[in-house]
Amino acid sequence: MTIVGRYYDGQSATVHTVALHYLAEYDSGTLLIGDAADGSEIARWAASDLYLVPGRRDEMRLAASGQPAGARVVVRGADTIARIRATLPVLGTKQRRETTRQRRLAVTATLALVAVIATYLYGVPLLASRIVGLVPPAWELRLGATVASQLQSSLGGLQICDPDPGSLANRALTRFGQAAMAESGSPFALDINIVRSDIPNAFALPGGQVFFLSALLDQAQSPDEFAGVLAHEIGHVAHRHGMEQLISSAGTGALIGFILGDMTGISVAAGLGSTIIDARFSRDAERQADAFAAQVAHRLEFDASGLVDLLNRVGEDDDFARALALLSTHPLTDDRKAALDRLGQDRPSGLEPPFTPAEWQAIKAMCGGALDQRGTPINVGATKTK
Amino acid sequence: MVMQHGPGRPVPVVFTGTRRELAGLLLRGYALLLPTIGLYRFWLLTWKRRFYWSNTDIAGDNLEYTGNAMQLLVGFLIAVAVFLPLYAMVFYLSTQSNQAAIVGYGMIGVTLWFLAGYAIYRARDFRLSRTLWRGIRFDQTGNGWAYALRRFGWSLLLIATAGLAYPFMAASLWRYRYVHSWYGDLRFGFFGSWKQLALPFYLTYGAVLVVGGAGLGISMALGVSTDSLAEPRAYLPLVIAALLIGALALRYQARELSSMYSSVRLGGAVVTVTVSARALIWQYVLCGMALIAAFAVLAIGGLVVLGVLASEAFAGGGFDLEIFFRQMQGSLITLAAIIFGYLLMLGAFTLMTELFIGLGFWRLIATGASIAGIESLNVVRARGEDKALAGEGLADALNVGAY
Ligand SMILES: [Zn+2]
Repeated sequence: MTIVGRYYDGQSATVHTVALHYLAEYDSGTLLIGDAADGSEIARWAASDLYLVPGRRDEMRLAASGQPAGARVVVRGADTIARIRATLPVLGTKQRRETTRQRRLAVTATLALVAVIATYLYGVPLLASRIVGLVPPAWELRLGATVASQLQSSLGGLQICDPDPGSLANRALTRFGQAAMAESGSPFALDINIVRSDIPNAFALPGGQVFFLSALLDQAQSPDEFAGVLAHEIGHVAHRHGMEQLISSAGTGALIGFILGDMTGISVAAGLGSTIIDARFSRDAERQADAFAAQVAHRLEFDASGLVDLLNRVGEDDDFARALALLSTHPLTDDRKAALDRLGQDRPSGLEPPFTPAEWQAIKAMCGGALDQRGTPINVGATKTK
Repeated sequence: MVMQHGPGRPVPVVFTGTRRELAGLLLRGYALLLPTIGLYRFWLLTWKRRFYWSNTDIAGDNLEYTGNAMQLLVGFLIAVAVFLPLYAMVFYLSTQSNQAAIVGYGMIGVTLWFLAGYAIYRARDFRLSRTLWRGIRFDQTGNGWAYALRRFGWSLLLIATAGLAYPFMAASLWRYRYVHSWYGDLRFGFFGSWKQLALPFYLTYGAVLVVGGAGLGISMALGVSTDSLAEPRAYLPLVIAALLIGALALRYQARELSSMYSSVRLGGAVVTVTVSARALIWQYVLCGMALIAAFAVLAIGGLVVLGVLASEAFAGGGFDLEIFFRQMQGSLITLAAIIFGYLLMLGAFTLMTELFIGLGFWRLIATGASIAGIESLNVVRARGEDKALAGEGLADALNVGAY
């Protein structure tokens, strides 16, 4: 029984209906391709040259090296295909070899990508701090101003509690800031703002602006706690962490875009993914800021670990914040406190306190909350649902 | 020799692929995307194309796709090199003042729109030059930048004329694509013109305006009469209008595909394509139903998983947000569940659109096509090699790669 198939010579679009014969020799053989109607020979392909081309499920496409690129013998029907495979085991061998090759390619590419990701994860904190050194301070200042104006509009206006720079409280804050920044060599002039808000938080913007929100101030029970948090935020300014973080998340976005193959879209996954990856980077930044606060405490008489107490008190009964702790950027508080205690161990004694009792009183009173009114923070927007 | 068809008798194009086969192929590919961190997409695309090509049978001979995954991977790497500077620009702009950022984003958007034209053309070149029929390769000549410029100019005109220039644009771009297409040493011809598109397009344009206006009007009237914008009833006319507009657009698309494909000539061979608007709309309806079903299954599955992860929050028949958050906190499993859930949703969406829209379009066009005078192609001879090795990376990155 001969096998009938279709033959394209790869040079003209004419289709030949052909009868296939296999001529077995010692260790190799030849595929004879003859015209199905008159039996005249059209081509002969050496069995060692034959290979399979991917095609439809019920079809076998044979090609041969050394022939025109499009030359094919096409055979249909499961029985026929099985017969050819049995006669020419070399086809299966070559097919398996090709599959292995493709698999190896995919694995190699994946490993290369894993290497890129690993390099990124370990290299970016280093790289980001290097790049930050190259960013002109003027650019960072402009960026800080942009962020501040965006904050203004999103929080419905940031009202500075005490706009008079000459007041006792503001003078004390400025003095504290100068003392904290004294040895940092930072190009930025610090600008500490105590702002009215019912969100207990404090943050530093690129370019030297530090915001301390009144709800957090109201919860501070000692100058230690307040000075600790403030010094921590000043640490972010001195290390230019805002800028660093921006650069690192941009890099993360690029990487995730690369993985998803979507260089244009800013997809949900990219956002989520970069949050997770950046969390690692932020933890390093928080540790650095804590260390900075501890250093400041070597020059002024306060206990930097008070910042952990204040942040703990604030975070205690906020369910939503705790849910977000899943993606938290802050190190575990216990570790943090232990690290700060360690850093504060050999603190010199007889230092000057950061604020005099009168100054501390004035700072506490800046937003209208006196020491005895501690329990009733001012609600500006009343947005908290708790 | 094979020449069973009488001279001039049209032969239909047959499509033999099944939805089940494509689904199996896609699911296997999606599963492999996870361990390869997404890189398997180049192999998946190659498999998908082999499925579509090899199941398209013209006069007893099916198409063959000769491209491979490596070519796509290399193309993607080239595209990354193009995009990194653009990405750096976007980053720089995001740190600038709002006004500068908006102007910059606009310019980048325009650049991307221009590049998309180039990418579309190159991607078509890549696919055609890797398509064999009867052992002879298709090809595309012409210049990608020229096509991009043409498309860009037409889109400016389109904006200036509020869309009225569309029939001219469509006919012009179809012509450019087809007069630069080759089968072996035989050049395609294109005899379509804007005149074929004008009447259906302007009728659709008018109908869309009427339907959209009516939907907006009724909905505003309802919203005003109930004196509350949150009234869901007020949005119903808008939804109905949007669905109607979608159906009108598809109806027009079927008309355009039919008349433009039917204007393609290849030597003595004449292509006739009839795409039924009803069948096309039906594909979208099917896809919508499949998406609803898939998301319903995923939602139920998600609730079950949540119930297991945070069983106490659901205790007592109610749902306690506080307990829920407490249980969720710090759990790595939760994080994994969020990511996995997102990937499942994305996977369900792409699977359904591919199974119903992608396959639907291909099958409707293939089975709606017939070719008369195909025996004239017997004399076509192969043309020299194509050097388009760069793949279609740009198209890949710009998300314009169809099929
Ligand atoms: Zn911090």
